[in-house]
Amino acid sequence: MKNESDSKSWSKSDGARLKGVSQWNIAWRRFKKNRAALAGGFIIGFVVFLAAFDFLVAPFPPNNISAFYSGETRVPPSSKYLFGTDYVGHDVFSQVVYGCRSALYVGFGAAAIAMSLAILVGLFSGYYGGLVDNILMRITEIFLVIPFLLILLVFLKVITAIAPSGVGGLTIVTIMIGMFSWASNARIIRSEVLRVKESEFIEASKSLGASNTRIVFKHIFPNVLHTIIVLTTLMIANAILVEAAVSFLGFGDPNAITWGQQLQKANEAVKEAWWEGVFPGFFITLLVLGFNLLGNGLRDALDPRLRE
Amino acid sequence: MSMIRYLIRRLLYLIPLFFGILIIVFVATRLAGNPVQLMTIQNPHITSEFRQRLTEYYGLDKPVYYQFFLFIWQMLQGNLGNSYAIRGGIAVTSLIDDYAWLTFQLQLLALLFSIIIAIPIGIISAKKQYSKLDVTVTTTSLLGTCIPVFYMGIITIIIFAYFLGWFPAGGANAILQERYLFGSLELDRIWHMVLPTGVLTFALLAPIVLLVRSSMLEVLRQDYILAARASGLSERSVVYKHALRNAIIPVVTWVGIYFGSMLAGAPITETVFNWPGVGRLFVEATTKLDFPVIMGITVFITIMTLIANLVTDLMYGYIDPRIRLE
Repeated sequence: MKNESDSKSWSKSDGARLKGVSQWNIAWRRFKKNRAALAGGFIIGFVVFLAAFDFLVAPFPPNNISAFYSGETRVPPSSKYLFGTDYVGHDVFSQVVYGCRSALYVGFGAAAIAMSLAILVGLFSGYYGGLVDNILMRITEIFLVIPFLLILLVFLKVITAIAPSGVGGLTIVTIMIGMFSWASNARIIRSEVLRVKESEFIEASKSLGASNTRIVFKHIFPNVLHTIIVLTTLMIANAILVEAAVSFLGFGDPNAITWGQQLQKANEAVKEAWWEGVFPGFFITLLVLGFNLLGNGLRDALDPRLRE
Repeated sequence: MSMIRYLIRRLLYLIPLFFGILIIVFVATRLAGNPVQLMTIQNPHITSEFRQRLTEYYGLDKPVYYQFFLFIWQMLQGNLGNSYAIRGGIAVTSLIDDYAWLTFQLQLLALLFSIIIAIPIGIISAKKQYSKLDVTVTTTSLLGTCIPVFYMGIITIIIFAYFLGWFPAGGANAILQERYLFGSLELDRIWHMVLPTGVLTFALLAPIVLLVRSSMLEVLRQDYILAARASGLSERSVVYKHALRNAIIPVVTWVGIYFGSMLAGAPITETVFNWPGVGRLFVEATTKLDFPVIMGITVFITIMTLIANLVTDLMYGYIDPRIRLE
């Protein structure tokens, strides 16, 4: 009897005991203890929830101007219009809720593009070195030095001018932001690759005859993944800020409902209607804060050099 | 000697980069639309013949490469062309001369203030890591990096210009001379600068504080600081003389890189506060397809950025003798 329970408990836990705790388990344990990071995750979860169920949360349909017909344009916040209404008669609360989806779209979309480019450039430049590295790093430097916002504005102007109707809008803004913000991340990933490249296990893998592709994707990539995750989180926050700025300057997609667009319209009437700008701006700050807190938390949790 | 050789090599690299950026923007502007069309669209009396003459007058009928070489040729002679839309075709160089100083006034003052305030705050925060003060400083700074500058601008305008009425909401001066503060141009300018400079300073403060703090924490852990303490130096001397010199290096890099993006980011602050600087000018020119002004400001800001990069590189060698310029 005693023997049986003994062997049972042994067989149950031996897997865990022999395997030890994985790097990800350690990271998750650390992350759970970090209250700021959890708050960041909670904020993002909240905005994702609003974006997913915007049609249920928002009291009015998108771009609805029923307040205009009832003569309630630019009324201050009330129980009917939680964040007030704007000059056209939009319910600011509803528009803010619909803005969640755009913000996440731009953030994740631009970050996906920028990080893909950054990972490719960083991996190949760092791993191969020599001429490849030289060429890729010169290109990277160009992207680091160019006056980013100015070029972005001119390019967006061009695309609205030459794109056939129907093409364009928020997707173009997203792609452009992604294309112009990979350079600094590529540099960071490259330096991480250079660090990992010198490790003994890469040497071992090489001596066993592994191909370069295998080494890059099987050995180097997983070891720089934690850096990539952190950079992606921060990149999302940055992309959201850039889109807001571009829209604020009037170069965004006028048909999309974004917080930046709302701020642009609000800026023309801050004196008469403070609520038009205060609420969308608050949501930008909140979401960006969420991603930054998460990013900082992940950096602390995923850093393999820090031990408990 | 090595310094001069380094400078030459760097310039050999930066000059093609400069022209590369110019080509990109130049081609982009020519694709962005037809300024003649935009200028004349409101006027029903304009004939196509007149449009044609206008296009020829601006040289827009020539091939793009010809236009580009003409632009470069004129630029090397110090002529950036004439605006299409502003003040009856004013020369772009004198336009930039008018507007750039206002941009510099705002941006440099904010940068100066933020550095002066941020370095001591960052140091104190690092020295008392995890204290209440440190937590407050880091939290405020983190928040500061998350608020878009234009949102902060809108909020301060609502509070200080409209609700409290302490400062003007925008512009660089009152429109009428009789309305100047105490009748003085300078005092009126300072009065108008309080809000934009304050907002920019706060926006810059946050990242610099975080940078100084983390780099100070890193330096204070090093052996030579222990050695300095062990040899009986005062805490003040250890921190401000020995540690700061190394902790400041990342800040120099940041300011150097930032200087470029600061000028390129000027459109945002200047639009919120209606500040007549090159940034707002650029936004207007892009909307109106005012090609010479777009190109002129691009030339100006790119040169400034590249010089800032060069100066940053040279500063390294001065601050950190371990770094050799090669």
